[in-house]
Amino acid sequence: MAFYIFKRLLAMIPTLLGVAVLIFILLRVVPGDVVEARFLTQGSQFQSQELMDIERKKLGLDQPMWKQFTTWMGGLARLDFGISMWTGSPITEEIKLRFALSLQLAIMASTIATLLAIPLGILAAVKQDTWVDYAVRVFSIAGLAMPSFWLGILMILTMLIVFKWLPPMVFTPLWVNPWENLAQLIWPALAVGYRYSAVGTRMMRSAMLEVLREDYIRTARAKGLWLKLILSRHALKNAILPVLTIISLEFAFLLGGLVVTEQVFNLNGLGMLFVEGIARRDYTLIQALVMLVATAFLFVNFLVDIAYAWLDPRIRYR
Amino acid sequence: MAVTPRTVEELTRAEKPRSRWIGVVLHFVRHRPLGAVGGVIILVTVVVALTAGLLAPFDPLETDYAAMLAAPDVSHWLGTDAYGRDVLSRIIYGSRTALMVGLGASAIGATLGAVIGVASAYFGGRVDLVVQRVMDVFFAFPVIILALAVVAILGTGLGNVILAIATPMVPRCARVVRSSALSVREMPYVDAARAAGFGHRRIILRHMLPNVIAPLLIMATAFLGEAILLEASLSFLGLGVQEPTAAWGLMLRGAAVEFAETAPWMAIFPGLAISLGVFGFNLFGDSLRDALDPRLRTQ
Repeated sequence: MAFYIFKRLLAMIPTLLGVAVLIFILLRVVPGDVVEARFLTQGSQFQSQELMDIERKKLGLDQPMWKQFTTWMGGLARLDFGISMWTGSPITEEIKLRFALSLQLAIMASTIATLLAIPLGILAAVKQDTWVDYAVRVFSIAGLAMPSFWLGILMILTMLIVFKWLPPMVFTPLWVNPWENLAQLIWPALAVGYRYSAVGTRMMRSAMLEVLREDYIRTARAKGLWLKLILSRHALKNAILPVLTIISLEFAFLLGGLVVTEQVFNLNGLGMLFVEGIARRDYTLIQALVMLVATAFLFVNFLVDIAYAWLDPRIRYR
Repeated sequence: MAVTPRTVEELTRAEKPRSRWIGVVLHFVRHRPLGAVGGVIILVTVVVALTAGLLAPFDPLETDYAAMLAAPDVSHWLGTDAYGRDVLSRIIYGSRTALMVGLGASAIGATLGAVIGVASAYFGGRVDLVVQRVMDVFFAFPVIILALAVVAILGTGLGNVILAIATPMVPRCARVVRSSALSVREMPYVDAARAAGFGHRRIILRHMLPNVIAPLLIMATAFLGEAILLEASLSFLGLGVQEPTAAWGLMLRGAAVEFAETAPWMAIFPGLAISLGVFGFNLFGDSLRDALDPRLRTQ
C-alpha cells in the first residue's frame, strides 16, 4: 500500500509538467502581453517601443521561451510562485484571501450537493418509475439545466424585491464575523450546490438500482429485514462510493471554475482573479492559478483512489 | 419446418423500416415519458429556430428608443430591453445561436474525440500511453477555464466559441470511446480487415468507428445541453457571441443585471429559455442512456 501511494504521487509529476507546458504555451499564443495591456489601460497614445522594451526586460519577457520556462519551473520546485506581472506583489499574497473564499464556497457547495444527492438518489431508486422517481429526476435535471449564474440573479432579485434585503457585498472571513460571512456565501453555495447535486443524484440513483438487484439484497429481504435497515446497512454502503467520487472530483473544479457565479454574486474569488489575469495577460498569476487547480484536482483524484482501496476490500492495488 | 403464411406476413411487416421506427418511437414514449417530454422540447426548439423569421413579431436587432425597458404588454409579450429591442423576438432568434453552438461544438468535439479514442485503442502500446497522458493533462483543467483560454487565443465570435466549447469535449469523448474501442479491437472482423491488408486509416474509420457509435451518440446528446450552457456562460462574461447577435447568455449580460429590479423580464425570460432548452436535451439524453443501458432497465 505504501508503495502504491508513493507510485501514485510520483505519477502526478509528469501530468503536472504537461499542464505547466500547456498553459505556458497557451498563454504565449494569446495575442498581446502584460506590458501592452497596461499601456492600453493607461490610455497612453504615445506608447514608445523603447519604454515597452524596458518594461519587458524588467519582467523577464525579453528572455527566450525556454529560459522563461526553466526560471518558472525552478521557482515552482522551491514552491516560489513568483511575482504578479501586473501588480508586482508576490502571487502568494494575491491568491491567499481569494483562496480562503473559494475554498469555503467549494466546501459549502459540496456539502449541500451531498446532502441533496444521497437522499434524493435513494428515494428515486427505491420508487423507480413512479411519480416520485420522475419528480426527483425532473428536479435534478432542472438543476443541471439552469445556469447557476441565472439562478443567482433570480435569488438576488427575489431577496431584493420580496424581502428588500441584499446579502453583504464585501467578503468577511469566517473567523472575523461568521454571521456576516454566511449571509454572503450561503446563496452562491446554494445555487452551485443544487447544480452539482444533480450529477450526484443521478449517480446515486443508478448505483442504488444496480445494488438493489444484487443477491444479498434479495437474501436480506427474504429473511424479512426492514427495508430501512436493508437500505442503510446493505445497499447504501455499496452504492455510495461512485457518488462520493464524483462529488469530490467536482470539488477541485469548484475551487477555480466558478468564474461566472462569482461574477453574479460579486465575489472576489479565484475564478474572478483568473478572468482578470487573462484580461491583463498576467502570465505568472494565471500559471500559478492553473497549477493550483490542477494540483488540487490530481490530489483529490489520488485521495479518492486511496479511499476506495480503504473502503472496499475487493479492490487491491499493485 | 413448415412456414405458415401468417408468419411470413408478420416477418415482412416487421422488416418494413417505417413501421419499425414508429414502433421504436412509441415504445420509447410509453416507457420513457420523461425522455419523450425532452424530445418534444428539442423538436419545438428546432422548429422555432428554423421558422424564427415567421414566428418573431419584431426584428431582433431593431432598436426602438420610444419603448426602452417596456414591461410586457400586448405588442411586446415579454417586454423590451435597454435598447427597446423585443425580448421575445430575441429569444426566438437566440434559439438559432444556441442550436448552432450546441450542434457545432458537439459534432466537432465528438468526431475529434472519437477518432483520437479509436486510434489510441487501435494502436495500443506506446501510442495509447502517450495519448492517454496528454488527455490526463486536459482533464486537470476546469471546463470553463479551458474554453476561456481558447477564446483568449482565437478571439470571440460564433465560430471561435464553437471551437472553444468543442475543445474540452475532445478528451472526455476520447476516453469514453477508447474504452469501447478496446473491446472492438479484439473482434474477428478487425483481424479480418488487417489480414485483408487494409491500411490503418481505413480500419479505424470504416471498421472500428461505426461500432462505437452508440456510446458516442449518448455522449454527444449529453454534451449538447452542456455546450448551450457553456455558450451562455461565455457570452454572459462577454467572451462569447458578441452584440448585437441574439443569444440567450448575452441577453442576461449588462443591462439585464443592472436594471434587474425595475425590468426583471430582461433577466427572467432569457434564463428561462436557456434552462428549458438544456432541460430538454438533458431529459432526452438521460432517458436515451437509460434505454440503451440494459443494466438499468426496469425488471
